[in-house]
Amino acid sequence: MMDNRPRRAAPEAVDTHGYCQAEIEVTHGFGLHARPSVTFTRLAKSFPCTIEIEVNDSHVWLNGKSIVKIMGARIRRGSILKIRARGLRAAEAIHALKALVERDFDEDKKHG
Amino acid sequence: MKIKSMAETLEITGISASPGVGVGRVHLAADITADALALGETLAAESDKLRRAVATAIAELETLADRSDEESTGILDFQIEMLLDPALVEMAEDRIVAGDSAALAWFGALDDYIAGIEEAPDEQLRARAIDIVDIRNRVLSALTGRPLEDFAPGSVFVGKDLEPSIFLAHDWTSGGGIVLFEGSVSSHVAMLARSRSVPMLVATGRFAVPAGVRLLVDANGGRAVIAPEDADVREAKSKTPATKPSAARREGGVIETADGVAIRLSAIINDPLELKAVDPASFAGIGLMRTEFLVTSPADVVDEERHYFIYRHALEWAGDAPVIVRMLDLGGDKTLPGLGARRSESFMGLRGIRLLLARPELARAQARALLRAAVHGDLGVLLPMVTVPDELDAMRTFFEEERADLSGSGVEARMPEIGMMVEVPAAALMLERFSRSAFFSFGTNDLAQYLMAAARDDHSVAPLYNAATSAVLRVIAQGMALAETMNKPIGVCGEMASDPRHIPALMAAGLRHFSVTPNRAADIRSTIGALCSDGRTVAERK
Repeated sequence: MMDNRPRRAAPEAVDTHGYCQAEIEVTHGFGLHARPSVTFTRLAKSFPCTIEIEVNDSHVWLNGKSIVKIMGARIRRGSILKIRARGLRAAEAIHALKALVERDFDEDKKHG
Repeated sequence: MKIKSMAETLEITGISASPGVGVGRVHLAADITADALALGETLAAESDKLRRAVATAIAELETLADRSDEESTGILDFQIEMLLDPALVEMAEDRIVAGDSAALAWFGALDDYIAGIEEAPDEQLRARAIDIVDIRNRVLSALTGRPLEDFAPGSVFVGKDLEPSIFLAHDWTSGGGIVLFEGSVSSHVAMLARSRSVPMLVATGRFAVPAGVRLLVDANGGRAVIAPEDADVREAKSKTPATKPSAARREGGVIETADGVAIRLSAIINDPLELKAVDPASFAGIGLMRTEFLVTSPADVVDEERHYFIYRHALEWAGDAPVIVRMLDLGGDKTLPGLGARRSESFMGLRGIRLLLARPELARAQARALLRAAVHGDLGVLLPMVTVPDELDAMRTFFEEERADLSGSGVEARMPEIGMMVEVPAAALMLERFSRSAFFSFGTNDLAQYLMAAARDDHSVAPLYNAATSAVLRVIAQGMALAETMNKPIGVCGEMASDPRHIPALMAAGLRHFSVTPNRAADIRSTIGALCSDGRTVAERK
């Protein structure tokens, strides 16, 4: 399927500081809170590397494994998320988290 | 709060968050405050107490989740994950180090965090604040030994808001209901109440009612009756629900293209009376609410209460979906006796934001009504005819000054997001200069007449006006490219967006949000659904 997103996400790449990074737009209607944030942080915590997120070019990197920080970031539909990871399985983590956001956090597979 | 006396009974109005009719004795929620929280012992002891209390709370929630259905488990899982995150305890520990007891530190840290969530711009997130209150109270209960709220089966819960875990721990099989001074149709409790058919009203405003008195919750009628007669109860139960709950799913507002891309369809509302005939479930909110209808005389323009009432009504209609109100677009073809000099009747003269800035008393009255209404939902404000960024900044200053004035007088107000119409060619061509606009909306009607130098009310140049399409599309496509780097929501309204022939080109330009008048919605919805997101049909792409 072709990529129809209004903004194309940058491909994952390793930068000079050893970070693996991806950029993605949140398209889920409710943004990233409550159940989506549970799904996101549980997946993040399943990786040994450090994972951080930045919202709308705020230059503030938050712990991507902390649901408290992610809820506090008030991420809504249309927010641009940057996700970066460093350490063991970093590339794999970025790939999985980016795919989760693209799948709208698998919300359609759940009830309610 | 609206209370009207009916003979000897009192009626309270609110918004229905879950339909149905229930009656029961009032249970008044206890207000939990930081008073009377014990003084601390040693630093290490307080820290340790807090960690044990959090562990107790997690264990309790897990027990509750074990005997709950899947939907409820999802809600409780969120609370458990929050408590498992060391960040909350760390926030409280900063306060323990500063000398607070564990209970006081936990209460203070959580309240700060809750306040941040309550200030969130979108209703969906604000509605999660009560989940954090739930966590706060459960840990506090473990720390202080004070029991969590409980009430007799069959009661009607009355309070500011209701925590999800309290709802889940309660036995609703004996009936009763929920009446909340604040609350939200988007909250977890509202979802739970709908799936368990517990009648629930929200946003009634604070009212006084003695505990133990009988209360009728008529959520079908959006009202509650204090000390009802049996006849009132029978009558309420005999009526079938008139409207669906406002948080009903909005499939109609999001259309999926043939290749699976979501396109939002919002309503254009010219007159608030139209809302009665339009189903909110068919639209992703209101993309353009005109306000010229509001004013038939100069006195109407500055009637802040009238504006406020109508905006609030529109927000209630839309539920959790956004409502975008365009400020008065007078001048041009829309004039008022005594308002705006004759010269402003020119499309090129003192109209739209130019007139609003030249007549601050008009703009400020409307800004105040919008600031007050913004408290009740997801409100955006569109500025008409913006040509240069200074106009946007000047209007924002009006809003900031009026907001300060309202808060100074203790009036609740919230800053709405302020965006602009893109309808003057200079603005469309220089879109990247308007970085302080929160969102953009292309207005194709004015863009067409200004690009063609052909007034749209002058029949002698009608063929020129009608030939504007390709020029308008090129300007929109260029504007979309400029806006791409700005990460701002961008939509389109106007006759072009309501014409199925132009939809493919607008989609090809990258537009994903269309505002149309309700009578055009069915046509546009089927047109979009048959196309791929690049505006081509499936066959054309093969």
